[in-house]
Amino acid sequence: MKLLIRIRAAVINGLRELQANKVRSLLSMSGIILGVASLVAMVTVVQGMVGNFRQFVDAMGGIEKITVDKQALPKEQEHLAELSEGLTMRDVEQIKATIPIVRYVSPEARVGYEKIVWEGREVNTMINGVTPDWLPVAKRWVNPSEGRFISDLDILHKTDVCVLGSSIVAELFPPNVDPLGKVIRVKGKRFIIIGLLNNIEAQGMEIRSASGKGRGSGGMWRWRNSGVYIPISTAMAKFNGNDRLSGLGLQVATGDDLNYAVEQVERTLLQTHNGLRDFTLTTNEQTLEDFRKTEVAFKLSLGGVAGISLFVGGIGIMNVMLASINERIREIGVRKAVGARGSDLFLQFLSEAAVISVLGGLIGLVVSMGIVSIMNYVLMQAVPTGVVSRFDWIIMLQGLSFSVVVGLIAGVYPAIRAASLDPIEALRHE
Amino acid sequence: MGSLATIRGLHKAYVMGDETVHALDGVDLNFDRGEYIAILGPSGSGKSTLMHILGFMDTPTKGSILFEGEEVSNLSPDRRAWYRSNRVGFVFQSFNLLPRLSVLENVALPLLYREDYTEDAREEAAKIALERVGMSHRLTHRPTQLSGGERQRVAIARAIVARPAIVFADEPTGNLDVKNVDRILDLLGSLLAEGITVVVVTHDLSVAAKAKRVISMRAGKVQEDRLQ
Repeated sequence: MKLLIRIRAAVINGLRELQANKVRSLLSMSGIILGVASLVAMVTVVQGMVGNFRQFVDAMGGIEKITVDKQALPKEQEHLAELSEGLTMRDVEQIKATIPIVRYVSPEARVGYEKIVWEGREVNTMINGVTPDWLPVAKRWVNPSEGRFISDLDILHKTDVCVLGSSIVAELFPPNVDPLGKVIRVKGKRFIIIGLLNNIEAQGMEIRSASGKGRGSGGMWRWRNSGVYIPISTAMAKFNGNDRLSGLGLQVATGDDLNYAVEQVERTLLQTHNGLRDFTLTTNEQTLEDFRKTEVAFKLSLGGVAGISLFVGGIGIMNVMLASINERIREIGVRKAVGARGSDLFLQFLSEAAVISVLGGLIGLVVSMGIVSIMNYVLMQAVPTGVVSRFDWIIMLQGLSFSVVVGLIAGVYPAIRAASLDPIEALRHE
Repeated sequence: MGSLATIRGLHKAYVMGDETVHALDGVDLNFDRGEYIAILGPSGSGKSTLMHILGFMDTPTKGSILFEGEEVSNLSPDRRAWYRSNRVGFVFQSFNLLPRLSVLENVALPLLYREDYTEDAREEAAKIALERVGMSHRLTHRPTQLSGGERQRVAIARAIVARPAIVFADEPTGNLDVKNVDRILDLLGSLLAEGITVVVVTHDLSVAAKAKRVISMRAGKVQEDRLQ
């Protein structure tokens, strides 16, 4: 309690000293201001980039996704081509039957980039044959008020139904028309619209081309909001004329099982393909791993720069404190002569350093807000869906406490010097 | 009145380069409560060293000091600080008021380092001390706004604010004009009535003439100790 009273008195005294030497105090704070501002701004922006990339990986199906694509046979296997019928529904059945850690298997039979027509309006887009598993693997959904997705019954009966992406809806239908139940034509064949996919908008980003709710989207997510999805059986029977798949999307129960699952899927496919390597497996893991490395490198280098400026800020504080002590040697002598202990003076000068660093840190936070706002603005100009970083009070609190620690460390040496001055010498000082 | 401090065989030696300087060389003295003492001597006579040691700013190399019945010749720095804030007051030639503090804050400063005073109590005590020296009309002024005589009166208020047993005045009139010298010396003399021992350290005979007892020092020794 007594110590608290002493600290309170020392802090009040520190504030008075700052007020008495405004310019000098501001100069001594400048290092801390820049240090905190750059630290907080850098961490915030890197955090924004990380968040952005996480979203991107998620949009690609997340870390749990394995993609199987067709691949040309390696040279030494070319003469065996007829032994394998490529990716088929048999692969799907086999994977489902033998690899339980694969939760969803989503085969795709691409029809191609086609023109779709409704009442004279037309749009070109990708037509995809898919199964109900496409939704969870792509991490998409159909809002209950916007119909339903393709069902197992649609697959079984090869029905002529389709589900549209939101950008197609926006391009094909006027805003006041409900697309559900409308009939569109694809290559002359009629399909009933039974559902609309959710619109993907990047969280935390303003997409300036976005208009109306749920209709249309721009930027890097645009391709994800286009497309027409029909039952895979319909695609094979009505358009492709064979049961070849253009690719497979798999979702593993947890990301931890990914490597094991990749091995299992590869083994199974080699079996069904009679040992021919006419497929390739890719995961998002490598991309994520690369990004993690970049993130660490970013944080280290930017954090290093910010750390150095905070260090320089600390030296600035120490410098000013030492100069101020030199100017106030007589004052220190007087205070000691009237009964101040070494610890009283230590506390007094340490508090001054602390007050400088706290104020500097607070100003630095305000400056960092400005920097991040400007960077957001510039990035938005450069890339429409550019990185938008948000302020995180935890980062700000960390920045502030970092500056306080630096200030306290920088204040210790000058405070010790003040505390250990001999009162007689100090009083003689001119 | 009774004894306040008794010193026996006091030595203080400094090493300067390869020479040892004996600032005090076997000093024996007794100070009673409420005495008005002048310590007289040229510079280098050891009078300042004696004041610093008796004022708990310094420690002797050898010898004993009984202060209010306690041996105090070898105290820790914090303990000496306690004595400075509780039992001793200083008045300096150059006033040594802190320029950034008001008159009231300057006088209250010694109490800032005492845990038995609240903010209100400090202010109250400072006001009483300023009234005592006739400066209660300048509470919010800065030292720079005062004349030399006024500054020294504020300094005296600061020296007595903590109700000390002894006040040391180091050439208290050295920076004052003739008119103010007498006022300050009279003010110091009036403290005796409160049982405070006043020690004026000076090389000025006319200043020493005001004291009841004059101790003359030379080369670290007491040359003469007489009542007048």
